[in-house]
Amino acid sequence: MNAEGLEGFRDFVDSRSSALLKTAVLLCGGDQHAAEDLLQNALVKAAGRWQRIDEPEAYVRRILYRQQVSRWRLKWPRQEVSVAEPPEAGVAGADAAAAAELRLVMREALSRLTARQRTVLVLRYFEDLPEADVARLLGCSVGTVRSTTHRSLARLRALAPELDALGPADTERLSSRDYSPVEVRP
Amino acid sequence: MNVDELVRDALREQAAAQAPTAAGLADRVLAVRRRRRTRRLVAAAAATVAVVAVAVAVPLLDSGKEDVRPAHVVDRTGIRAQPDQSPPRDLISADGTTLAAYYIPRTVEQSSGKAASVRAYWLLDQRTGRYVKAPQWSYVAVAPGMKTAAVLEQQLPAPRIGLLDLANGKVERWIPVDHGVAGLSFSRDGRKLVATSYGENPDLRVKMEGSEGYDAPQQSTRTGFYVLDVASGKGSWSEVGLDGDPNDPMGGGFINSRQDFALSDDGRHVWCGNPMGDIGKQFYDLTGREVAVPAKDKHLQWYVDAGKSPSGRLVAGDFAGEKWKTSSWVLDARTGRRTEVRGQQLLAWVGEKSLVAWDITPGSNEFHNRLVLVTIGSDKVVPLSGFRKGNDGAAGRWEPVFAQP
Repeated sequence: MNAEGLEGFRDFVDSRSSALLKTAVLLCGGDQHAAEDLLQNALVKAAGRWQRIDEPEAYVRRILYRQQVSRWRLKWPRQEVSVAEPPEAGVAGADAAAAAELRLVMREALSRLTARQRTVLVLRYFEDLPEADVARLLGCSVGTVRSTTHRSLARLRALAPELDALGPADTERLSSRDYSPVEVRP
Repeated sequence: MNVDELVRDALREQAAAQAPTAAGLADRVLAVRRRRRTRRLVAAAAATVAVVAVAVAVPLLDSGKEDVRPAHVVDRTGIRAQPDQSPPRDLISADGTTLAAYYIPRTVEQSSGKAASVRAYWLLDQRTGRYVKAPQWSYVAVAPGMKTAAVLEQQLPAPRIGLLDLANGKVERWIPVDHGVAGLSFSRDGRKLVATSYGENPDLRVKMEGSEGYDAPQQSTRTGFYVLDVASGKGSWSEVGLDGDPNDPMGGGFINSRQDFALSDDGRHVWCGNPMGDIGKQFYDLTGREVAVPAKDKHLQWYVDAGKSPSGRLVAGDFAGEKWKTSSWVLDARTGRRTEVRGQQLLAWVGEKSLVAWDITPGSNEFHNRLVLVTIGSDKVVPLSGFRKGNDGAAGRWEPVFAQP
């Protein structure tokens, strides 16, 4: 990397790393250390080909998502985020306190999903990406995105029964034939 | 409210509560990248063992049939520094820890879209005390004491390993191998040699789509390792498969093309770095079966060349940068207690108290570093070589190969 590249890289990290860390934290289910490692690894990889990247942020985000999913694939047991107590039952009431408590319950439940399940939900609901874009980013089929989303939401409900009071998401209304059980890779 | 709306709200709330990154992240990332450049990731795996007896193809010379240990050709005391030489022409040594060789990597184009990173070696001529080019070797590992080096010829992976008598520069014997090897590492006592086998040359470089330069391929072809008895040339090969998904251009891609194995300091295990793993390393027994990391090795970092001190009590660690702008950690192997020592990157132990390191002059270009001798508990830095020029990865930058006394 030449001096100009170094300067550009530093500027990018200074201006965008906080936003990228937010995404990394969500992908890691709130595990701050894992998120910092994830982001650092992605930035190291980006630094390696900095002067050949047209859209640095898109590139780094793609590494974040895929790296997180690939961690899930590796054979060795990963350090799971441990939650001492099961999510406590909240009241699905309409008032602000109950809503805040429900978000906390949801956050805890999210931290107990697999990295892959969480990544798909972060892409769909935090990044607001259409299924086709999620599929492209993760290198899988749209059917896989759909089925993973469906199963992830079902898992959240299983982890936190108090979510039962909530209405179903659009994806949960799909018939079982609409999602493919087997992941297809390009 | 639907469940997906609550997911959205919970994620946004969590993101909003996240503190910004700490200052200096870019520099930390660049420092990590420098350390990882030549030795990168890995995945490890299931291991089965195929025993392969290797024959001695070339008769032994008279000298040192059994004794593969050093001849102590280099003084064990005193410092030989060449602070005006980069790369060095004359012997560099500190109390027996000796720059036994150095190499200069360069990328050689092979055909359109393919190239190989090639090392040109210079070995210490122990009679003249000068470094002499050794163009026939693509990989050189020097045994402690510098009597013997293990060498590979130019085509990697290589079908045979040469044992070179460093006193006269001749190959004493060839050890043929059924599984081509591309990396070599001696045990601490010099009696065993670990050779890492690969399906293809791990130093191949490919041109990625839309890229002007060459990169290491995303996938490793590492197949396993030999543990060889240096005196007899006999040993066995253990298969170590790769993990990860070969069809995923990104997910399976965090694997180094070259990730060599080495013996632990007690010679009881073989280990390698695994930076994407939880603990960054994987240990095996000598037959290739995965084992837990021994307690005394848990602080080892695969990308820090110096490794454990001669007694095994201390471990050379990562970049520190607290007390000094460029400094590193030295850890107690058992307790993990850290002590900061000068030096940007720790390369080799000199006894229990000192190390050879790369270091810069404060305020200068962070890539323009030279070999220095640093000592635990001391501010003193003794220059051993001239400064390297160019930035990381630039042509002509030399890399040291040290041997313990």
